[in-house]
Amino acid sequence: MNPTDTKTMQSATADPDSADAAAPAMIEVENLDFFYGQAQALHDVSIRIPANKVTAFIGPSGCGKSTLLRCFNRMNDLIDVARIDAGRIKIHGVDIHHADVDVIALRRQVGMVFQKSNPFPKSIYENITYGLQIQGVKDRKQLDEVVEKSLRGAALWDEVKDRLHTSGLGLSGGQQQRLCIARAIAVEPSIILMDEPCSALDPIATSKVEELIQQLKTKYTIVIVTHNMQQAGRCSDQTAFFYLGKLIEYSKTEKIFTNPAQKQTEDYITGRFG
Amino acid sequence: MSPTPSPSARPISEALLNRNRFRFLGLTPGEIIKYFFNGNAVVAIVVLALITIFLFREGAGFFGQNMQNLRIYRLAGLEYVDFIRRQVDEHTAMNRALNESRLAQFNRLTAAGRTVEEVNTALAPFDAFATAFGDSVEDVRGVLSDLTEVATAIKQKDQVNRDRLEQKAMLLGAGKSDEADKITVTPVDFAKETVTLKGTFPACQAANQQFAGKLQAALATAPAMPEAKLQKQIDTVQAQAQALIASLPEIERQMQEWKHDAPIPLSRSFTSFLFGRQWLTASFWQDWYGIIPLFVGSLLVSIIALTIAVPLGVSAAIYVSEIASVREKNFIKPCIEFISAIPSVVLGFFGIAMLGTALRALSQVSWLSWFPGFPMSERLNSLTAGCLLALMAVPTIFSLAEDALNNVPKHFKEASYALGANRFQTIVRILVPASLSGIISAILLGFGRVIGETMVVLLCAGNRIAIPNFTEGLGAFFQPVHTMTGIIAQEMGEVVTGSIHYRALFMVGIVLFLLSLGINYVAQLIVRRYRISIG
Amino acid sequence: MHAPANPFAGQKSSSRSIERVAFGVCRSATYFILLCAACIFGTILFKGAGTVFQTTAPFINVPFLTQAPETLFVFEHEGVKMKMGDKEFRRFKEEKGLPDIAAESYVYSSGGIFPCIVGTVLLVVGSMFIALFIGISSAIYLNEYSTHGRFVTFIRLAILNLAGVPSIVFGLFGVGLFVAFMPLLQNFDNPAAPTLPVGFGHYLNFSGWNVCLLSGWFTLAFMALPVVITASEESLKAVPMGFREGSLALGATKWQSIRTNVLPYALPGMLTSSILGIARVAGETAPIMFTAAYVVRDKMPWDVERPLDMLFQGVMALPYHIYVVSSKIPQNEYTERVQYGAAFVFLVIVMGIALTSILLRIKMRARYRW
Repeated sequence: MNPTDTKTMQSATADPDSADAAAPAMIEVENLDFFYGQAQALHDVSIRIPANKVTAFIGPSGCGKSTLLRCFNRMNDLIDVARIDAGRIKIHGVDIHHADVDVIALRRQVGMVFQKSNPFPKSIYENITYGLQIQGVKDRKQLDEVVEKSLRGAALWDEVKDRLHTSGLGLSGGQQQRLCIARAIAVEPSIILMDEPCSALDPIATSKVEELIQQLKTKYTIVIVTHNMQQAGRCSDQTAFFYLGKLIEYSKTEKIFTNPAQKQTEDYITGRFG
Repeated sequence: MSPTPSPSARPISEALLNRNRFRFLGLTPGEIIKYFFNGNAVVAIVVLALITIFLFREGAGFFGQNMQNLRIYRLAGLEYVDFIRRQVDEHTAMNRALNESRLAQFNRLTAAGRTVEEVNTALAPFDAFATAFGDSVEDVRGVLSDLTEVATAIKQKDQVNRDRLEQKAMLLGAGKSDEADKITVTPVDFAKETVTLKGTFPACQAANQQFAGKLQAALATAPAMPEAKLQKQIDTVQAQAQALIASLPEIERQMQEWKHDAPIPLSRSFTSFLFGRQWLTASFWQDWYGIIPLFVGSLLVSIIALTIAVPLGVSAAIYVSEIASVREKNFIKPCIEFISAIPSVVLGFFGIAMLGTALRALSQVSWLSWFPGFPMSERLNSLTAGCLLALMAVPTIFSLAEDALNNVPKHFKEASYALGANRFQTIVRILVPASLSGIISAILLGFGRVIGETMVVLLCAGNRIAIPNFTEGLGAFFQPVHTMTGIIAQEMGEVVTGSIHYRALFMVGIVLFLLSLGINYVAQLIVRRYRISIG
Repeated sequence: MHAPANPFAGQKSSSRSIERVAFGVCRSATYFILLCAACIFGTILFKGAGTVFQTTAPFINVPFLTQAPETLFVFEHEGVKMKMGDKEFRRFKEEKGLPDIAAESYVYSSGGIFPCIVGTVLLVVGSMFIALFIGISSAIYLNEYSTHGRFVTFIRLAILNLAGVPSIVFGLFGVGLFVAFMPLLQNFDNPAAPTLPVGFGHYLNFSGWNVCLLSGWFTLAFMALPVVITASEESLKAVPMGFREGSLALGATKWQSIRTNVLPYALPGMLTSSILGIARVAGETAPIMFTAAYVVRDKMPWDVERPLDMLFQGVMALPYHIYVVSSKIPQNEYTERVQYGAAFVFLVIVMGIALTSILLRIKMRARYRW
């Protein structure tokens, strides 16, 4: 099987080595061509991301992995010159660019954690409840429950339970990032996208976030973009390697790291380039 | 919200689809909000367009009306009379020069310790000459005043007719046709009327001959002057008078050839506005709307202001961005910003109340008398206005020039230091050249601010509608002027809406508007070039 | 014994002294500017203080701030030289039973400037609301909604050019549009102006609003617009992109994320820097000369039959009053009082606004850092 042969959709998405082949695909990308103005950022990408697994996107800078991630919740809509020329993205079988799909509803289902932690300059409590409040939830009891549940879910509750009403900006970098994760899971999405969530964190904070990712995958489908190969190896089930806007190889993480099918993948993983 | 994320696909795909979104006029709430803000942003374009439209709407009628104005000037024979009037005016100017030189002699002699009687006797020959010189024009003056009356009467008649026509049109418009019929309008027969004017030509000729003869005779008696400077003055008058006599046949020829119905080219209406050297309104004789004196006034004041403001503003910008300590910077920058908020009318008032007097007192200090134009004759003049305008231009120039200096990439500076240049050398050789276009555009925008400023020039420039006498060299900077902005502010309140004067003021506004757009455009052009050169 | 020559020793070269002189020149130019400004402030504050304050309690010259301008009469009565305002003079004549007293009169030189202060405040507040509303909305569009394109370039070009238009041209524009053209909804057909029937016996008569508050508001507001838009956009840009993205990623609509996560942090900055622009506009005289200001008006703005009439009346304004008393009336020793007094009050009002803005901004820069 040649994973780069994307002309036939099955070939790229089916994964014979994986026991997850039968698992329901959460995200399906079919032959996606993506442009920034004149520059093509993604070339004919097709990928199936299974539910309740951690999928890592790796590759050198500018290879299009973040771009693809931001397609999943249509954050690229915010960029004027960004456009999709061909291909489809389906989440749960629904084409997310279909006229009837509400981008707001989509983003509630597909949460996102950014590279640079971006808690709002509000209290921790308000940060967590923000997503619910804009949906019109006012019930104080429900909000309190959600805050506790989300913070526990993000393994932050014990650290901040006594200062829920202080500013989120007062937390340390790692805590801020976990707050952002808590904020994302508060609206109960089915997918969480993480765009290099640990790139600005020290090793201890990183390991905490990685632990958290392992806990979260039982409930959520997680897609993580990372520069850090060890991180991809440690916490992902599936790994996709991108290079120059093309999906080079997509397979189980162990396979990619021990026995890559492609020469380019092997070169990148062994550090010969990138 | 379901309390737990659903594992099954159905509810999620269901949640993504939203078929019955709220719409109003086919727009979602988000789109409505977007278009609301969009609409507000468009206001800027709309305002600019409206300014253009309304300035031109009110100003456009000017050319038609001015054409009419010029046509009547010719039809009613005013132009004919002005041939002679110019002769008399020139003579009057020479006479004034003679009077001035008498005053100078008088002062000189009394300063030498002579009594008034002695001086008067000493000046008797000169007085005889001056009187003869002055009287020589009497015949022409007589003819002129007769002709003036005739021409004014024709113009009056035409005006009355015009008013009647207007009244008739108004009555007809209101449906009162019987009343309108009662108003009779007999068009003025300009050919017949101007015959009287032209009929006086032999008399004019005779008067001119008399004038030439008497003037020659008077000039022959011109006494020799005791001082070279005064002698030169008299010589100038002599030469001017001879030239006037020599031009008499030419004037007579023009008078003879003059026709009341000679066509006036349409372009005259434009040129008489753009290049007219006279702005004369509400005059009994003929109104002129020439923008040159106002334009020159505006320019003169702006030049003075920029001469002061550019060195100050740019060196302050250099000082603050490169030399000053952080504490000084934090003090000076808000202070200069603060200056930009001083109301212009307060500055103007300060000019009237203090600065004008102070500057004149300074100009009267004896050891400064070598300076051309000192002592100043007027308290309020271009210099007073220019000084205050400089203070208004400084904040603009300062902040934009400082921005330009700050925008020079840091590595330019570091490279210069690394080569052993000191701070001053770096500033002069690296920073200023690199930010030069930014500084130039700052100066241009400062110029735009100065030339568009109203209250200071209205209060302090002296408001004399005349082209400054540039033969005085630097002295021209101390003469009172009137400006484009000032004239609008001064006369707008007094004009009748829709009159030619009203429209002329809008035309001045259009000139100002286009000027400001032009300055802006050039400034932007320079900045854009500059960006490319650095990138 | 000679120590080895220090290669890093400062060299006494001419370039050093040139540098010192040049820096001295720059420094003195900078402080010269500040000195000139201080001079002007000093003169007006010092001389104006004589009018506005007094040596006896309550130390502030209350009548000057609370009365309308009056004509000053100077006359001799029983050998004593007396100065009186118009009303007082009439009462005096009645009391003494003298119908005529030979007196010299000086217009506006007595009484106070209360109507002018009221007019200026009304003009500034009204135009501020309009300018802030339109300006902030435009900035939101330009910074949050707009996509790069010819249309937006065009808007920005218009704003840039609008900023350079001379104030007197705004005044002319105000005359052409608001004073002489804007429609009024009236219950009759005005024969002298273009008319648009709207039904129910009412007509839109394009006869203009005349010289009134409304005309002045819009003229001033449009003048302030470029400054407000630029200042507001800068504040919006200062809000990190992450706030918007974070909010959108949580499923907020565009407007929700602007309302809850952008505006609250940008608004203080918008207001403070806009106010500086508004202070500059509040100090302008030329645009209101023909659109809103009267030389003299006996009635106060609130003396109207219907509340709406308040908008359609001219007002007295401080800057115009200063212009009138300093150049339109004969100058003499008696006019100085009101001239400096009015200039003092006006300067304090405008500079007060500007100072508040500058101080607030300095304070805010320290507070909002993310």
